[in-house]
Amino acid sequence: MDRFLTEKVKKAFLVIATVALFVFILFPPAVLFLTSIKTELDALSFPPKWFFQPTLKNYAAILKTSPLIGYAVNSLIVASLNTIACVVIGSMAAYSLARYKFKGSENIAFWMLSIRMMPPVAAIIPIYILMKNVGLLDTPWCLVITYLTFNLPFVVWMMKGFFEEIPRELEESAFIDGCSPLNAFIRIALPLVAPGLAATAILVFIFSWNEFLFALILTGTKAVTLPVGIIGFMKETGINWGYMTAGGILALVPVILFTMLVQKHLVKGLTLGALK
Amino acid sequence: MAGHMLDIVLKNLKKKFDNGFVAVHNINLEIAEKEFLVLVGPSGCGKSTTLRMIAGLEKITEGEIYIKNRLVNHLMPKDRNIAMVFQNYALYPHMKVYDNIAFGLKMRKIPKPEIDKLVHEASEILGIEDLLHRRPRQLSGGERQRVALGRAIVRKPDVFLFDEPLSNLDAKLRVQMREEIKKLHERLQTTIVYVTHDQVEAMTMGTRIVVMKNGVVQQVGKPLELYEKPLNLFVAGFLGSPAMNFLNARVVEERGAFFVKDDHFSLTIPRALKNRYSELKEKEVIFGIRPEHIFDKTLTDPFPNGESLKAKIEIVEPMGSVVVLVARCGTSKIIASVDSKTKARPHVEMDFLLDMSQMHLFDKEFEEAY
Repeated sequence: MDRFLTEKVKKAFLVIATVALFVFILFPPAVLFLTSIKTELDALSFPPKWFFQPTLKNYAAILKTSPLIGYAVNSLIVASLNTIACVVIGSMAAYSLARYKFKGSENIAFWMLSIRMMPPVAAIIPIYILMKNVGLLDTPWCLVITYLTFNLPFVVWMMKGFFEEIPRELEESAFIDGCSPLNAFIRIALPLVAPGLAATAILVFIFSWNEFLFALILTGTKAVTLPVGIIGFMKETGINWGYMTAGGILALVPVILFTMLVQKHLVKGLTLGALK
Repeated sequence: MAGHMLDIVLKNLKKKFDNGFVAVHNINLEIAEKEFLVLVGPSGCGKSTTLRMIAGLEKITEGEIYIKNRLVNHLMPKDRNIAMVFQNYALYPHMKVYDNIAFGLKMRKIPKPEIDKLVHEASEILGIEDLLHRRPRQLSGGERQRVALGRAIVRKPDVFLFDEPLSNLDAKLRVQMREEIKKLHERLQTTIVYVTHDQVEAMTMGTRIVVMKNGVVQQVGKPLELYEKPLNLFVAGFLGSPAMNFLNARVVEERGAFFVKDDHFSLTIPRALKNRYSELKEKEVIFGIRPEHIFDKTLTDPFPNGESLKAKIEIVEPMGSVVVLVARCGTSKIIASVDSKTKARPHVEMDFLLDMSQMHLFDKEFEEAY
């Protein structure tokens, strides 16, 4: 009886904690969404209004009058290309670091990680000059390449862990069954880390999609991405909260869709190994 | 090996790992066609490393490996036409059983209808036809083992390599799979190199056994040869369960007869062995006798070369068919495997009869058999 009660208390506590956590996490996006469907007057009222006549005016306005769609296309190009490049290069690098130990291979892995420790601001001026000299400024390519610097180490470290968890005998068995090392990688190792790879890809995509600092500095007009574009609603004449929040919500949609699409893999991937 | 076709030849094979550890010292071995060769030894003896060098999974530091008269030192595993069964089976988790078995054939670009025929043939032999559409994780240990075997036999390789394939199974299944692998060998008539640390597996399965220790081959021979004529103390103690008894003793000559003697026992060396051991007069030796060659004197009629020895029983272990007695004779421990009708009780001194025609003597310093 006693144990039954404590179980119940435990469960109730868990539920309360979960709800509290979700309220905490979901509060900002909820406010974002609510503001996006308010009129300008409602949006600026204080204390904030919780009951109001919703409107899609903001959405209609920014889709019609601003080049938001163009920014979204830029974002999509940058994020997709970056994700593909990261996954292809990163998983191969991770595989070789996981499977082929050579003198200094641990050092290489750490050196890659150290790149991520660098504050991005420190690199921004040199990267700007570099990109200017090779004529890539204000093109999607300069962002694709720059994001590689930060995403590749992440991919390599995530994937290295996943690959290391595959029993080596699986690939050895594949060698004996007639695989070359590349074949064993593609046919055995890669399918086995697919959930992990998907999870990693999502995180990389989200990072590229949301990145602001480099996009702001390295693009001007042609290659502007969504986060930078949305900031465009901040003008000297004032901040258009309705437009900004509507833009924010529109920027969220693809990420949510993409995540939902691969959610199954995401959960599997992030718990890969824990299941063994 | 004249008259036999040689399947695998290892010449001065050596493996030194990057950290400097020498796992295999200079192995020379000739494995005949259709042989079931077992590499056996304690963990770390280099048996698996040797197997992995044959497979091409481990680089060879020195020496040469020939498979079917072809030098394979620099061939990739895929080009050696071998099949291997791993300890953890190494089934591809993302493929169904059918695809696991078919994988090697697919990689070799064999036409689909042919693959289908071969997979069904192999699965029929192993009785796993019902499992073809399952995934490895849905299978029991024994079933996984069968699939691993299926994957190996389907390709009809020149050589099968087994790396401790039964050690993940429970005792009962292990005995069953032991028989099946033996039957499979008889049926397929393919050379097998089999690695195990289990001396029972080695004795029961191998047509020849290679006993290894610390990367060095201790002895090569047929199971009974090794059992009856071990070349050194290690082989003598490794094969057989319970293990052979070793007692410190001295060879003494008295009135024309030779004895193995200690403060607590004096055993006559059989006439037939006299010449063999005559040079050991007054020498300190290790006397070896297997537990099954020690009898309960009250239950045994006297027999030629049966010698008495008194020892105090410490432990009585009934095994059903026999009773294992742990006894003490002076400072030496003696294990005897006697008739189950024995009346032996702990803490009681009793008389044993030792079959001295089965005795062994070893050099005390170099541990080699005389």
